[in-house]
Amino acid sequence: MSTLSDNTKGKIKLTILRVIVYAILVFLVFLCLFFFYLMIINSTRSNAQLASGFTLLPKENFFINLKNAWNDASINIPRGMLNSLIIALATAVLTTYFSALTAYGIHAYDFKGKKFVFTFIMAIMMIPAQVSALGFVQMMNKLQLNNSYIPLILPGMAAPVVFFYMKQYMESVLPLDIVAAARVDSSGEFRTFNTIVLPLLKPAIAVQMIFSFVSSWNNYFIPALLLDKAEMKTVPIMIAQLRSADYSKFDMGKVYMFILLAILPVMIVYIILSKSIIKGVTAGSVKG
Amino acid sequence: MATVQLVNVKKVYPHSGETKKSRKAESAPEKKTNLQITDEGVVAVQEFNLDIADKEFIVLVGPSGCGKSTTLRMVAGLEEITDGELYIDGKLVNAVAPKDRDIAMVFQNYALYPHMTVYQNMAFALKLRHLPKAEIEKKVMEAAEILDITEYLDRKPKALSGGQRQRVAIGRAIVRAPKVMLMDEPLSNLDAKLRNEMRAEIIKLRKRIDTTFIYVTHDQTEAMTLGDRIVIMRDGFVQQIGTPQEVFNHPANLFVAGFIGMPVMNFFDAKLQEEAGKYFVCLGSLRVELSPEKAARLKAKGVKSQDVTLGVRPEHTDVAAQGVPGRVDVAEMMGSSVHLHVTAEGRDVIIIVPTVDLEGSFSMGDTVHFTFNGKVAHVFSKEDEHNLEY
Repeated sequence: MSTLSDNTKGKIKLTILRVIVYAILVFLVFLCLFFFYLMIINSTRSNAQLASGFTLLPKENFFINLKNAWNDASINIPRGMLNSLIIALATAVLTTYFSALTAYGIHAYDFKGKKFVFTFIMAIMMIPAQVSALGFVQMMNKLQLNNSYIPLILPGMAAPVVFFYMKQYMESVLPLDIVAAARVDSSGEFRTFNTIVLPLLKPAIAVQMIFSFVSSWNNYFIPALLLDKAEMKTVPIMIAQLRSADYSKFDMGKVYMFILLAILPVMIVYIILSKSIIKGVTAGSVKG
Repeated sequence: MATVQLVNVKKVYPHSGETKKSRKAESAPEKKTNLQITDEGVVAVQEFNLDIADKEFIVLVGPSGCGKSTTLRMVAGLEEITDGELYIDGKLVNAVAPKDRDIAMVFQNYALYPHMTVYQNMAFALKLRHLPKAEIEKKVMEAAEILDITEYLDRKPKALSGGQRQRVAIGRAIVRAPKVMLMDEPLSNLDAKLRNEMRAEIIKLRKRIDTTFIYVTHDQTEAMTLGDRIVIMRDGFVQQIGTPQEVFNHPANLFVAGFIGMPVMNFFDAKLQEEAGKYFVCLGSLRVELSPEKAARLKAKGVKSQDVTLGVRPEHTDVAAQGVPGRVDVAEMMGSSVHLHVTAEGRDVIIIVPTVDLEGSFSMGDTVHFTFNGKVAHVFSKEDEHNLEY
């Protein structure tokens, strides 16, 4: 009997280690995807089928559920999705753009009180939305801006977290010599920001756009306080409405279909933007 | 093509906490310079006076932290001028934004736009001027040809080597045919061989584009080979302005004498003696008469006998049968010459001995004698280190 060489022992050890690691990873993937899968399956089942229990195989009611959900009399799903889309897209775009602009101002310029401004913005990060909600809602009512997109889009633009992320990102990818080079190349300050700085921030912008879009899309708290007209309601409010709907007409298949529809735009946005999250866009600009 | 005038230019970085926190290595707060610190802040540059002629090539040179890059950035408009006046083409530009100064600048770290191709990088400034497309293309192609980067035009900077990137950076500057071309240590990121090549290219380039250059470097070889005139700076002050030959032959003070020239000048504690209009330097037992021109200059300044710091360049220090004795520590064979590192008069001395008529060799511990010519001896004041001749 020959003894195992150190090499073989090492290989066995490595294999065991890999098996354990992959097992854990597979389990985590299962945790992430299984409920997703279940939701898709459930959206293909009728209310009766759903009531009868649990299955892993799709049924044939997908299009019936879709039709029922889309044409629901009490809840205007297409309108809700349009509302949510307008608000979430506008918030995502404006939040990232203006946060990047603010971060650039703090990063690239020297001015008196710069440190204070930075600290102040960071301090705002500590204040939860709920604290100022009452005053905010009152103010919006006084301005007659309830049932409007504006209070759901504009305040979101002042996003200290996004600002901080952008600032940190700039510190790692934006050498100020590039800005100086653009200035010497006779580019104005806004042009420099839009044509030189923004493209360099693309990965950060993509990440923050996804986050802003998702959080705006899922936002329930403020819209619930401000929106009461049916045609202004957003998806999370409609989902809540559906849950509290008349029990006799309750169709679980329709609810699952609605939830599926609700997460669809989020997935699409993620798929589009994740392509832009490429590392090393700045590689080669300056000597590293 | 333009003249540039700096009149009593001064730059102060205010104390206020973290502003300018090591933005430039030059103004880094590390304790490596003796910059003057006043109530206003750290004085990075002061009393800077310089008239640059049209199409002149000026080199600002000095150790790091001496204010040379700050001066260049003030000319570019990237740093505010605290005090003094800056004229480009006779026009006061203190308050003119960089984009309106019609200057181009090459940065040490290239500062290319990473998301643009080489072509786009070079065309950026021209596009901003709304030049017609055909003209932009013509200019970019011309510059690319001069710099031999035509084949890389559609690549992004990350796909280029350091030398190629620096060419692109230079190309970006020359397409605009600027009034003044500013270069901030453009070669210091390149390896030695490439640096020599690029240095030669810059000399050729200068002939072709024919504009006013201000070039910053810490490398005295670059300064000597490129500049029409050299400005030597230290701790925010100009030490000397002159042609390479002038600063080499007539250093204004001990610092310039030590900074310009490779290997560095040998310094000794010596005595200057004045006798009947003639001047002698005494180093140990050696007594050398200074040349009549030097004596005349010293006499005109009314210099008396005194203790001085004597400076003699290694290439002007000659091994002789008689002279100051020294012990050989190291003999470096450089090919055409031998660099002898000798301890003499309590100082480390370097003597360059040409190998042409060298017989035998030097080994450690040998005693050699050396002497020097009165034409090439520099005498510096012990008090304020200035050259007693000027």
